[in-house]
Amino acid sequence: MAVRTTTPGLPYGVGRLTTAWKAFVAIAAAVVALGLYAFLREVTQGMRVTGLRNLGTGGGATWGLYITFVVYFIGVSFAGITIAALIRLFDLRHLRPLARMAEVLTVVALVLGAFAIVVDLGQPVRGVINLFRYARPQSPFFGTFALVLAGYFFASLVYLYLGSRRDAATMAREPTRLQGLHRFVAAGYGDTPAERERHRRASFWLALAILPLLVIAHSTLGFVFGLQIGRPGWYSALQAPGFVVLAGVSGIGLLIVLAAIVRRTCGGEDCLTERVFAWLGRFLLVLLLVYVYFLATELLTGTYAAGEREVDVTRQLLTGDYAWIFWASVALLVLPLGVLAWQALSRRWSIGLLVASGVAVNLAAIGKRYLIAVPSQTHGQLLPYEAGSYAPTWIEYAVVAGLLALGALVIALFMKFIPIIELPDESREEVTADA
Amino acid sequence: MRRWWTWGMVIAGGALMTISYFFLAAPWGEDTVANSDPRLEFAPLLFVIGVIVAFSAAVVYELMPDRTDE
Amino acid sequence: MTKYAMVVDLNRCQGCRACMEACKVENNTAEGVFWMHVFRFETGEFPDTRQSYLPRPCMHCDNAPCVKVCPVGARYKREDGLVLTDFERCIGCRYCELACPYGVNYFNWRKPADSYFLDWGDTDIQAATGGAIPPYRNPDLDEPQGAERRMTAGGGHHKGVMEKCTFCVHRVEKGMLPACVTTCPVAALRFGDVEDAASPVSKFLREHEHFRLLEETGTEPSVFYVGGNPPGSETRQIETIEVGV
Repeated sequence: MAVRTTTPGLPYGVGRLTTAWKAFVAIAAAVVALGLYAFLREVTQGMRVTGLRNLGTGGGATWGLYITFVVYFIGVSFAGITIAALIRLFDLRHLRPLARMAEVLTVVALVLGAFAIVVDLGQPVRGVINLFRYARPQSPFFGTFALVLAGYFFASLVYLYLGSRRDAATMAREPTRLQGLHRFVAAGYGDTPAERERHRRASFWLALAILPLLVIAHSTLGFVFGLQIGRPGWYSALQAPGFVVLAGVSGIGLLIVLAAIVRRTCGGEDCLTERVFAWLGRFLLVLLLVYVYFLATELLTGTYAAGEREVDVTRQLLTGDYAWIFWASVALLVLPLGVLAWQALSRRWSIGLLVASGVAVNLAAIGKRYLIAVPSQTHGQLLPYEAGSYAPTWIEYAVVAGLLALGALVIALFMKFIPIIELPDESREEVTADA
Repeated sequence: MRRWWTWGMVIAGGALMTISYFFLAAPWGEDTVANSDPRLEFAPLLFVIGVIVAFSAAVVYELMPDRTDE
Repeated sequence: MTKYAMVVDLNRCQGCRACMEACKVENNTAEGVFWMHVFRFETGEFPDTRQSYLPRPCMHCDNAPCVKVCPVGARYKREDGLVLTDFERCIGCRYCELACPYGVNYFNWRKPADSYFLDWGDTDIQAATGGAIPPYRNPDLDEPQGAERRMTAGGGHHKGVMEKCTFCVHRVEKGMLPACVTTCPVAALRFGDVEDAASPVSKFLREHEHFRLLEETGTEPSVFYVGGNPPGSETRQIETIEVGV
């Protein structure tokens, strides 16, 4: 059968280790090593090596950069699996090439989210054991831990695996070094109509089961913050929905960036068409509109009529210590909104602008997560403590960089074993052409 | 055979999740010493196992050979 | 059923901070950790300013947000009203610190032994003073407490775990009063069973108007304040702590 390849052998660069790829992997591995070193410093010397400090008399913030990235990573994972599930549920054929990339992004992001939680614990090893031993459903933390990491992660992993079998079977026909691995992943996939029908049915029901699971999971993440009456700026009904929407925004943004990078390495228009990017751009636009609406609502409420402490926190965001992060994040949301709207209306999509928008909204998401976490701690005390301050140390930056590099490394390695883009399904196209 | 296994795993996984969440994990209700402990230690692990079993049903459904296949 | 509460007489508190020191010595808390903290407040504009002091232990709330959010049940509420932290189960997620509206929670950011208030292990000082200094470290701090047998007494046990005022559970279990209450030179702090109508605390509460902090949050605190006023929007701290941790 004819399979698209840019060079002879396996499609989409599977099994071919280019110099650029090797350099990228080396750099990523080095950053991961640095992050690991920083984490070991933190474990042996205690978390005083971070910039975190006690609230109130301690004059600091106790949840900072790590929690920012916990929420960010889990948020990114939302978009990946949602797109993959939507593609199956609504049979969006032209978006099929994206499905695996989206699933990989979800799985990797969830693993990074789990690691980010563990590095934030004062007792990491005891934490992992005690969470499995004693976790209480009454704590919103349980929902984040059990449902998100166990349920949603495993469901996404199953989804990814089952979706990879067909391509693994296709590649197992080529006598390469990876043939053994491909045969193992394919696990006897025969590409018969009956098998395809079973796969379609299984994917459909999996997608149907995953979607409510992930809405609940992301909402409990929002509840971690939104149910705390003691923290002005957190206690809000909009936290949970806001989390879900911003998760979608950052996830799609990152997917756009990933897709653009893959497109560069796999041959351009042949493997990922502009139509795919246009769809992603439109989806991002809609989610951005909703999120900017939420932002405006929260701001209006916060400045018009709010408890005294809420007003204080809001003032810090608009004109105080956090103003530069706040306005930068707003700009990084509103500018891409404008750029995407213009592209949508003129129906001319530029991949470069889309990538820039994707990067911008991700930076904004990180900023916004930071602003949700920190100001309500340094300036949100209900008793008259003095205002505090928080600045991350190099340890925190290094650990976070290590996590990001780990994600990039895993995706880069994955791409060389299984094609990151789903192989086009000629046999199905033949069937539909006949029908 | 395959159908039995698939449905069985989904139901078993779901049952394990429900039972461990509502009956084995820390009970809901007033904040007391008793309600800070799970009724069975490692109940959350059982919940996670229930999730794994339920979703593995999909893998079984696709991979398991069956006499009804052509 | 016993239910412990503390009553703070703001008319008597003169800001000597003996309670803070007693708490630190009794519970072996590390540098920068103030289970008992006494605010120094100022209201009004110069020259018409007024100063006041407000002791702030843990409120041991009946509807404690910290208990609700603890993921592993390390923070729990006992039937006698005390809210305690099991430092052997705590995983150091600091969620209780975030949930508490009063700011009474403290995390051990470094090995506590590196920042103890007193040189427990200094043999030279011990020899020179015949054992008087460093003072006696209460061995009860390393014992499981209560019918539930959990490790809850004292602070500064491990790095990476949370701690807060325990109403000196290891003393209360033996029928004694918390260290701050015993030490206060002007008897501004009272402690006892508010379910027992005949106890001195209950009588005192019946005879005096009292308020609790942040009642609007619905936490149902167990610390009552007699005399003085709750801190308002114009209240500000004028003596802040420079924490070296």
